[in-house]
Amino acid sequence: MYTNVHHATSNSGVVIRKTRGAYLIGSESDCIEGTLSNRLKNESDSHPVAVGDVVIWNEAAQITEVLPRRNWLSRRGAVPMPGGYAQEQVLVANVDRVIPVFAAANPRPAWNLLDRFLVSAESSEIPALICLTKMDLVEGSQQREIEAVASEYSTIGYEIVLTSTTSGRGLGDLKARLQGRLSALVGKSGVGKTSLLNAVEPGLGLRVQSTSKSTGKGRHTTSTSEIFALALGGAIVDTPGIREFGLWDVAEDDLAWFFPEMRPFLGRCKFRLDCRHDEEPGCAIRKAVVDGLISPYRYQSYLKLREDP
Amino acid sequence: MKTPFVTQRIYTRPGKINNASGDFVCCCCGAFVSVHVALSGVGNRNHCPYCLSSRHLDQFEPGDRLSACKARMKPVGLTFKRIAKKYSGHQGELMLVHLCEDCRKVSINRIAADDVVEMILSVLETSTGLDPDTRALLAQDGVMLLDAVQADLVRQCLFGINFAAALPG
Repeated sequence: MYTNVHHATSNSGVVIRKTRGAYLIGSESDCIEGTLSNRLKNESDSHPVAVGDVVIWNEAAQITEVLPRRNWLSRRGAVPMPGGYAQEQVLVANVDRVIPVFAAANPRPAWNLLDRFLVSAESSEIPALICLTKMDLVEGSQQREIEAVASEYSTIGYEIVLTSTTSGRGLGDLKARLQGRLSALVGKSGVGKTSLLNAVEPGLGLRVQSTSKSTGKGRHTTSTSEIFALALGGAIVDTPGIREFGLWDVAEDDLAWFFPEMRPFLGRCKFRLDCRHDEEPGCAIRKAVVDGLISPYRYQSYLKLREDP
Repeated sequence: MKTPFVTQRIYTRPGKINNASGDFVCCCCGAFVSVHVALSGVGNRNHCPYCLSSRHLDQFEPGDRLSACKARMKPVGLTFKRIAKKYSGHQGELMLVHLCEDCRKVSINRIAADDVVEMILSVLETSTGLDPDTRALLAQDGVMLLDAVQADLVRQCLFGINFAAALPG
């Protein structure tokens, strides 16, 4: 059971599992199944409690208060009805690291989604560790391509680990990086988040499925977010597969700041901080891309996120 | 460097330059250009049919839109495609040579059906006066520009074998 937090009162603990309307809260002594109090329900339009939150509950096992978060990773929630407004959906809170997980193949990596995760992690000030799984499925030129992209992100400054649960590649490295921290696995369905967790902590025996043979996509096997404590110290939040990840609370003008390789060039454009880095003459970032200092793919990703956050 | 299929990293950008239809406004003459295949006769319209100017948008391969340069590419001359098509006679297809005004990247593009022929011929004329640096740059990229001696061949490509009859006057 994950209880590695300082509890404010005897009636406080960490939300370790969240299902529809019910929350499993781990305290120092035991685990309780709780629900939301009416006050919390009425105060927020969306789900006010996320996995990793430190909460206080009452005698009726109702969560009455969410203590201030250290950080949180959120996305733009689905619009409830046509013409409605999207709301913030908090995926995890109070984590030490977010781990975007991508498969080298089957399903093939969605690099633009990776950039979305990284921008969101940067805006939440959560360190990111990129994890590429299923490396045993690629060989030859495909493997070299994956490694070239991995090296590109590594050059930017992101930690990256290439793994395979079949061959065991990279698992030792991953375990060392997970030790003593609360990490959150995020990614598309079918990329192998739960398989990775099973490989890191073999006793868990969590349910996994192969990807669909007809569509090549995942089957949404994991449907709840849950924290799993690791024997080596630390814990992992396993989250359900994500199909879309819309940025939340990332201002258009701040977007370039969340691309670490662009930071040294900000303010050096002809129009200084008013530059959109798109069509403007004398743009330092465009020049850096042309000079090979910034990846054209990452720049394209920036433009895409600017237009469609 | 080619963008591989497996790790496809190209994103189609909606709106602006690469909008849903692909229509654009020429960065040089301001004319609205439709990319409809019924008008241009090509599936990859990449230059203005009126002034023949283009923009430096592609980096590694046609259509990837990965270039950050985005400067104007001016037409500097004409050339023939090296590999002749099966039914196109002795030489390859007549192509337009573009040069980026900013980073001086060379690009060779197909001539479209609605390109103004007078402009194409004027490009042929002005290409004879190109400065030695530009000529050296093109030679470095293996581009052999057509000169005035081959003007009849160009007219033949544009107007057909009996081009003399097709010319006004």
